[in-house]
Amino acid sequence: MKFWDRQDAARAQTRRLLLAFALAVGLLLLGVHLALALAWVLMAWVLPVHLPFPAGFLVTNVGVSLMLVLGGWWIETSNLRGGGPRLARRIGAREARAGVSHAEQRLCNVVDELCIAAQMPRPQVMVMPRADAINAFAAGWDAGDAVVAVTQGALDYLSREELQGMVAHELSHLHEGDTRLNMQLIGMVYGLELIYHFGDTVRDRGGLAWWFGSAIMLAGSAGWLAGRLLKAAVSRQREHLADARAVQWTRSRDGLGQVLRKVMTQRAQGERRRRSLMRDYGGLAHPALQHLLLVQAPDERRWMQRLDSHPPLRERVRAIYGHPMPPLPVRPLPAAPEPAAQREAAPAGALPLAARFDPFARRRQAG
Amino acid sequence: MTQTGWAMLALLVVVLVWAVAAYNRLVVLRNRIANAFGQIDVQLKRRHDLVPNLVEVARGYLKHEASTLQAVIQARAQAVGAADAARAAPGDAARIGALAQAEGLLGGSLGRLMVLTENYPELKADATMRELSEELTSTENRIGFARQAYNDQALEFNDAARQFPALIVARLFGFGSAPMLRSTQGPAEREVPRVQF
Repeated sequence: MKFWDRQDAARAQTRRLLLAFALAVGLLLLGVHLALALAWVLMAWVLPVHLPFPAGFLVTNVGVSLMLVLGGWWIETSNLRGGGPRLARRIGAREARAGVSHAEQRLCNVVDELCIAAQMPRPQVMVMPRADAINAFAAGWDAGDAVVAVTQGALDYLSREELQGMVAHELSHLHEGDTRLNMQLIGMVYGLELIYHFGDTVRDRGGLAWWFGSAIMLAGSAGWLAGRLLKAAVSRQREHLADARAVQWTRSRDGLGQVLRKVMTQRAQGERRRRSLMRDYGGLAHPALQHLLLVQAPDERRWMQRLDSHPPLRERVRAIYGHPMPPLPVRPLPAAPEPAAQREAAPAGALPLAARFDPFARRRQAG
Repeated sequence: MTQTGWAMLALLVVVLVWAVAAYNRLVVLRNRIANAFGQIDVQLKRRHDLVPNLVEVARGYLKHEASTLQAVIQARAQAVGAADAARAAPGDAARIGALAQAEGLLGGSLGRLMVLTENYPELKADATMRELSEELTSTENRIGFARQAYNDQALEFNDAARQFPALIVARLFGFGSAPMLRSTQGPAEREVPRVQF
């Protein structure tokens, strides 16, 4: 993978899509005005009296729609500003601690290593103990509340190198500000949605208002759909960027590549036993989380791939390796002995290592 | 002042502002390189701190391998001394070279120790040993990543200092090019510790 070129391409594509987003908002404002003008003309045509456009028709229409979009965006982004750890806890994640198990020691170490490679501050590390699917997500508004959470499945099935690839992908989302960008886009789409709802409210009054309401709803739904499509397209580009970043930081195609190939296998198995699928994903099916995940949780209503927040797995694997690769079998790692901090008889002379790095383990040791 | 005079003045101000911005950017990039180099030192220190614990745990099981353990301890002492010397005189090429050599030796002797543990199933099954070997793997990775980060930073600085027109500012104020670190310094260091249990 030519990761520098790939990153440049993904960034350029994101810029184009964001420009398109701004254009879509502009078109929507114009669309609302045109729809209302059309409704006015139709009304004037039906009524027997001569009816000129009221003064300031354009300014009012555009102004009110703009206020709705910006207001909705502001409301939604303030709602989302809750911070990464809070979101992670809401879906059942808990803090990872090096002293708890060998797997968590390894995870904490891997995050520390990659923060050195990425030259960024260490985010909070969390584990989702109830999710058996291989997955991870990053969240947070800025460096202060950034979090990387990994599923139990990832700890159980991924080798050290694979875990590195996965964590590097998530760190890229934090490093490139994708989590913030996505929250902004969610807010914008919500603002576009408000126009539709506004139209719906107006239409409910019946009579002449029905015409105007319908016109606003029409323009609003077109804008909302365009917004969702563009948001998904931006999200897909950021996934490609994060994949390229992961290859750059780990200098290994196999790390992330093998994770995705194992996920392919899990997906194929999941298709066969669909009922247990939702359990495997724990809280990961949460809609506010989809664009933040390593791989999207499977959606029953996969009627429109254009609304997917992630590129297809095969496409990502092909981008990483330069050619298609088959899925890999998913096998649990060999069981590790219990960490010394939790055993009764540690060998004489050696303080358990966890006690040196983890204050909680040290307290346990002392007590 | 005439119209041409004003135009000249405006042009001069634009060029000055640009030159200050270019100079500041180069300074920032050069400081980042120093910081990235400091990171490597931090990780080497971590490796030094880890070694006594590792030796202590292994000593209980490896009664007949005293010479290997002794070699690790000696290499560590040498590396600590070289690191202190390099820290005392940053930028001294000879001391940096000595540090690289000492670290190479330490890496090599650690590698031999880890290979040796393969023959002792009890040691391999020891939970503390397992934790230590995880920490050692992580430390080796951190050293590698810290070097990689240094090189990425050096690349960014060199790109910035050699591109036209920032090149002029770089030449005027004597911004040289930052050297790249090679991944391996000697044959002993190329022998990566095997800690795959």
